[in-house]
Amino acid sequence: MKTRARLPRLVACGATLTLALTLSACGDGDGGSGSDGKIHVLVYGDATNKVEKQLVEKFNKTSDVKVVLDTIPGADYQKKLQTIINTPQAPDVFFNWGGGSIKPFVKAGLLLPLDDMIKKNPDLENKFLPSVFNNAVVDGKPYGIPMRGTQPVLLFHNKKVLDEAGVKPPKTWDELLEAVSALKAKGVTPIALGGGDIWPTQMWFQYLYDRVAGPELFAKAIGGDKSAWESPDSKKALNMIRELVDAGAFGKNYDSVKYTNAGSVQLVASGKAGFELMGSWYYSQQLTDHPDFAQKSLGYTAFPTLSGGKGDAKNVAGNTNNYYSVMKKTKHPEAVAEFLKLMYSDDFVKAQLDIGNLPTTTNTKDFLDQAADPKYSRFQYDLVADAPSFQLSWDQAYPQKASSDMHKAIQQFFNGQLDTDGFIKAMQALPTD
Amino acid sequence: MTTQITSARPAAGPRKGARRRPPASNATKVGRPSFAWALPAAVFFALFAIAPLVMVAVLSFMTWDGISSPEFVGMDNWSRLMDDPVMLDSIWLTLLLTVLGVVIQTPLSVVLGVWAAGNQRNRAVLSVIYFIPLLLSATAVSVLWRALLDPNFGIPAEATWLFGDGNLFGKQATAIGVLAFVATWQFTPFHTLIYQGAARAVPEVLYQAAEIDGAGRYRQFFHITLPQLRNSMITSMILMVVGGLTTFETVLILTQGGPGTDTTISAYYMYDKAFQSFDFGIGAAIALALVVAATIISLIVVRVSGYDKMRSTMEGVS
Repeated sequence: MKTRARLPRLVACGATLTLALTLSACGDGDGGSGSDGKIHVLVYGDATNKVEKQLVEKFNKTSDVKVVLDTIPGADYQKKLQTIINTPQAPDVFFNWGGGSIKPFVKAGLLLPLDDMIKKNPDLENKFLPSVFNNAVVDGKPYGIPMRGTQPVLLFHNKKVLDEAGVKPPKTWDELLEAVSALKAKGVTPIALGGGDIWPTQMWFQYLYDRVAGPELFAKAIGGDKSAWESPDSKKALNMIRELVDAGAFGKNYDSVKYTNAGSVQLVASGKAGFELMGSWYYSQQLTDHPDFAQKSLGYTAFPTLSGGKGDAKNVAGNTNNYYSVMKKTKHPEAVAEFLKLMYSDDFVKAQLDIGNLPTTTNTKDFLDQAADPKYSRFQYDLVADAPSFQLSWDQAYPQKASSDMHKAIQQFFNGQLDTDGFIKAMQALPTD
Repeated sequence: MTTQITSARPAAGPRKGARRRPPASNATKVGRPSFAWALPAAVFFALFAIAPLVMVAVLSFMTWDGISSPEFVGMDNWSRLMDDPVMLDSIWLTLLLTVLGVVIQTPLSVVLGVWAAGNQRNRAVLSVIYFIPLLLSATAVSVLWRALLDPNFGIPAEATWLFGDGNLFGKQATAIGVLAFVATWQFTPFHTLIYQGAARAVPEVLYQAAEIDGAGRYRQFFHITLPQLRNSMITSMILMVVGGLTTFETVLILTQGGPGTDTTISAYYMYDKAFQSFDFGIGAAIALALVVAATIISLIVVRVSGYDKMRSTMEGVS
């Protein structure tokens, strides 16, 4: 009896002890930058991490302060970032999209303005394309150093499908409309759209608003002037979207199709759809999912021009680039500055080009021939370098808290649940700061 | 132990306490367990359930974006919620999905559970296959069905006579239908398990007696099995109701509350407000409303069913 009674007591003691240890471990656990000699760099977890790991390894070989690379996988990156940004778990340096995505952090006084760093080392600014660098300038001060690559949105197509319908890749809006009816007559969905994800739907709004009204309208709207949304140009752009949808350009079930589960990707690859409007990462997506198709029949053009539109036909929309921003509380700003220098190094450019990304440094041009697909990389580079304006994705330009309601409005207007006035009202209700 | 048995003679009488039968426990002698035994559980409950609940309640009177410091705004969040059409819709949607869940899953799981409790050939094998959905996480289940229901490459593409253009996620009625179907697919096995256990516990003598009286299989089912399953049914229904009120992952992955706000149930709306729009005050208010609603509904179910009286269905049997 005695030996038996001892056992539970032992277990209980052990449990209590473990518990106490765990709790105390939580107490002094280092949360990110608290520890000495380390800087935590937080990035969006995906295939590009390969390059980031290489850079970190290289940096750590010569630096006393070591970089620790943390990744958050998936599209929830920004939600999770915002949840930890004002806690001890916050990183020292983090990946973002510039624009509205960092504005709230700047307002809350969490980010380090980089002008001092740039004063000491002007290359941190000079080595990047100005239109890209400027996208992370908030209230006149730079808060981000470009990293990874630019992602303009392009109009991709299936060459075979277009040939069979006797359609050429459209240069103008009218040609696109003609292509839509020709493809429809052939019985294929003219344009594949992953409406279930909603952000692909948003791309059509970004480009049409830019072509119809120029970048000024959106700039005005995000600057807080909500009348921009009820302007005649805004209504014209909305009407054009309505016409396109009603013409059956996207078929009937676009809201049930997803890009993220490769549904729309497969539509184009399998020849069931002619076009898809998507960021430049689409090429490598197709190359992964359908290598044969990507190499033989995947075509790409810039978004069509629009006669009578106010926007420059060379304007592009998409994700300008990604940026590294620095937290004010970092204990090793010098080491961070050293680390950021890598973002315009030759090694960085080469490694990014190798995996199909297109960095926006001024020396990128010299390495274009070494890219995975030089023709594609050059097309993109010229497109971005020649663009008078680069419209950042709406949901990244607006503060994160606006994106959910914006997505709802976009989906509802697209599928007819909201009319023009309803959409305008919904956009006017969005917070701009 | 041996000493106890030898001393437990019938002549021992009441003086020796409750030790009339050898296997009887000595619980009556020791008395009720001391409160100290509940302490670890109580501490954990307070730490991980009560404390966060109180914090959520406080947060519902504040405005907070997760970055700057929170500010008190009084009843602001609550009055905004009252006027919010999406909130009202979300409550109806939540109730609708919960009711759909109970109405579809209960009969299904009763029938399957009773069947699985029998001893037919191959029953065990079929049961095991049938219970597989129970082993999958809600996330995996949702991702799976989202892919299977792809309009161009999934089941709808093959069965156009049933699905039409396959726009299941683009229309409210079909989107809700998909949510109810996936919940049924995922959770019916669990409730079947409950009913299987309960059906096995029904004493064989009842059926033997009924057979002698000439009752057929259907009469036996309706007059013996079903009444005997009463308590299990209440347990299962409470679980369904609470589960229905807190459904979240399936909506997050399958529809994201869409199209528009057509499938935005309350739990998803809370997530949307708190973690997508970074309005933690409103999110907290919705969460608190959900807690209150779930508690009230559970209490009603318990009261109405007489579950609180702990009456046994075995009365008069043993």
